[in-house]
Amino acid sequence: MGSPCELLCELESSRDAEMMTAIVAAEAWRIEEKLSRYIDGNIIHQINSANGKPVEVDSETAQLLDFAETLFSLSEGAFDITSGVLRGAWTFDGSDNIPARPEVEALLIHVGWDKGNWQSPVLTLPGNMEIDLGGIGKEYAVDRAVNILRADSDKPFLVNFGGDLAVTGPPQARKAWTVGIEAVEQGEATQLIELRQGALATSGDARRFLKRDGVRYGHVIDPRTGWPVEEAASSITVAADTCTQAGMLSTLAMLKGASAESFLDKQSEQYWCHR
Amino acid sequence: MSRSKERSISVALATATCGLLGSSIPAVVDAQEEPNWDINTSLLYYGEDEDRVQEFSLKAIIRRLYTDDRVFTFGLTIDGLTGASPSGAIPLDSPQTITNASGNSVYTVPAGELPLDEEFRDTRVAITANWQQPVGESSQVNIGASASKEYDYLHFGLSGRFSKDFNKRNTTVSAGFAVASDENDPEGGAPIPLSSLLDIGDLSNHLGTDDKDIVDVVLGVSQVISRNLVVQANYSFSNESGYLNNPFKILSVVDATTGDTISRVAGPGGGPSHEFLFENRPNDRSKQSLYTQAKYYMDGNVLDASYRYMTDDWEIDSHTIDLRYRWPVGNDKYLEPHLRFYTQTEAEFYRLSIIDGAPLPVYASSDYRLGDFDAMTAGLKFGWKTSDNNDMSVRVELYQQSGSIPGGQIIGNQAARNNYPDLNAIIAQFSYRFKR
Repeated sequence: MGSPCELLCELESSRDAEMMTAIVAAEAWRIEEKLSRYIDGNIIHQINSANGKPVEVDSETAQLLDFAETLFSLSEGAFDITSGVLRGAWTFDGSDNIPARPEVEALLIHVGWDKGNWQSPVLTLPGNMEIDLGGIGKEYAVDRAVNILRADSDKPFLVNFGGDLAVTGPPQARKAWTVGIEAVEQGEATQLIELRQGALATSGDARRFLKRDGVRYGHVIDPRTGWPVEEAASSITVAADTCTQAGMLSTLAMLKGASAESFLDKQSEQYWCHR
Repeated sequence: MSRSKERSISVALATATCGLLGSSIPAVVDAQEEPNWDINTSLLYYGEDEDRVQEFSLKAIIRRLYTDDRVFTFGLTIDGLTGASPSGAIPLDSPQTITNASGNSVYTVPAGELPLDEEFRDTRVAITANWQQPVGESSQVNIGASASKEYDYLHFGLSGRFSKDFNKRNTTVSAGFAVASDENDPEGGAPIPLSSLLDIGDLSNHLGTDDKDIVDVVLGVSQVISRNLVVQANYSFSNESGYLNNPFKILSVVDATTGDTISRVAGPGGGPSHEFLFENRPNDRSKQSLYTQAKYYMDGNVLDASYRYMTDDWEIDSHTIDLRYRWPVGNDKYLEPHLRFYTQTEAEFYRLSIIDGAPLPVYASSDYRLGDFDAMTAGLKFGWKTSDNNDMSVRVELYQQSGSIPGGQIIGNQAARNNYPDLNAIIAQFSYRFKR
């Protein structure tokens, strides 16, 4: 998952805790193996190296692609799993290394989910286009883990994959799980949240940016322009029933730039936005 | 994008997520910002019977909770005291007139009654501030300051405490200190110890202000024994030095045979009818105490039992046993009976009266609080959660104290009188604690 993953639990025996941790870890690794774009031979690798040929996918991948398509249309193209190639032009390392416009334009030709053809279970992408499910995978893995835990146990658990987390219920010893939202610059929690049920997900990383001529370019790229979203928040945390919903809402809000709060105000979920 | 379209995103997203994760219907999110403020307020009434001391106390403890277990605590207390307090003089079979502590008026006590200083009236305002924060993974520091002001009294204090957890946080060892400087500035000036009460307006036996310094050191350890049992032990040492007298307390000077107070002729402007001396206590007092406490949890019930032994170099030894039992009633109410037993021996310089003609003792006080007495408190607290999940409670307690005068100190007619009447008091408290 590219980040620390943890399972918090309230159980009578350490053997049970070890067993549940092993089950959750196995599911996380399974999803990573399957969806990571860095692993040769998995379904993502097959799609990204198909070079214009159609690829038939398994049912789980098909469901994820359906979901990605829904988000693409809901966000009017702002959420796009084909936008990963733009990383070739942008490296958010705090420098003033802003790419030249033609460089971005050249990559933008290969971005756009609507340029491909998705007829479940067959995906056909033009050559040189790639998909990356990294924007969904972590939250999806958290929710999968929670579903497995719920099916196996009625005890309280908290699944935390790199800051995106969900619980199966409130702990008994205390009334709620206490989760701190970190303000990235200070490295300390600025707000504590009592989570009894549901999930929290955070988008944003204030340490990843570029700066030139006084203009700050945050790391969230709008796939329709190829350029960073202007006035994006430094971090947005959303609470929702599932980690996937929370994660997608925080990502969509991030893509809204300056109007993230007004977008989130119209949704029915709670959020915490740092600028 | 239109407003209505944006609004429908979370709904469409919920449907899409349901399709992705399968048919299982997720639990509805329940997230809440942890409160940053924890405010505890209370109103307390303490009333002694027979028109002795009555006290109303309004208290607020405001805690600002920061992340990473850092806490700032601010406390404010306002006390109002009225009523009468025993002056230290013995009752007589005839009326007696006594100059008040400030030396500017007299009061007359009817025959057979314990002399009470009726002018006991004061307002106290006290503030405390405290900062607590973790140091590293397993330690905590706490620093605080306090100040209080009464009409004739000023207090400043500083405190600090360090604690460290061991053994997977099952053991906590702590060390703390407190220093305070108090200034006593009674109206008319602090009286010269063992000087006689004089006629109205004669302030020649009064000095200016007097100070005392207090140093406390506490060492403690608490240990989790099991899931149900936590025990704690503290040792504390306390030293007070400086002006430790109570400027309002006097002693009767009595005849060696009859035990009656020696008569005196008051001046034309009025003055005491008998001979009285202001008390005198040593100007240094060191106390040591050992406190042990056990808390036992069983299905929401909590038994809290503690014992304290205190000894000081005034030769007061005391024992306190305190028992509380928290008994849940339904989901959000509880009853808590409380019993407290206290006993102490008298100070070595405690004496009922001073014998006329005998050599004057170096130290003498007839303050009943320095005497030999037993006390018991019995009370009941009822607590409940309000509809917005805050805590309210009412507590009513009865306090009973009965003391005795060492046999050898009772002279002649004194034996027939009640020199150390029992004290009964009622304590009522209402508390409201809320978070936001």
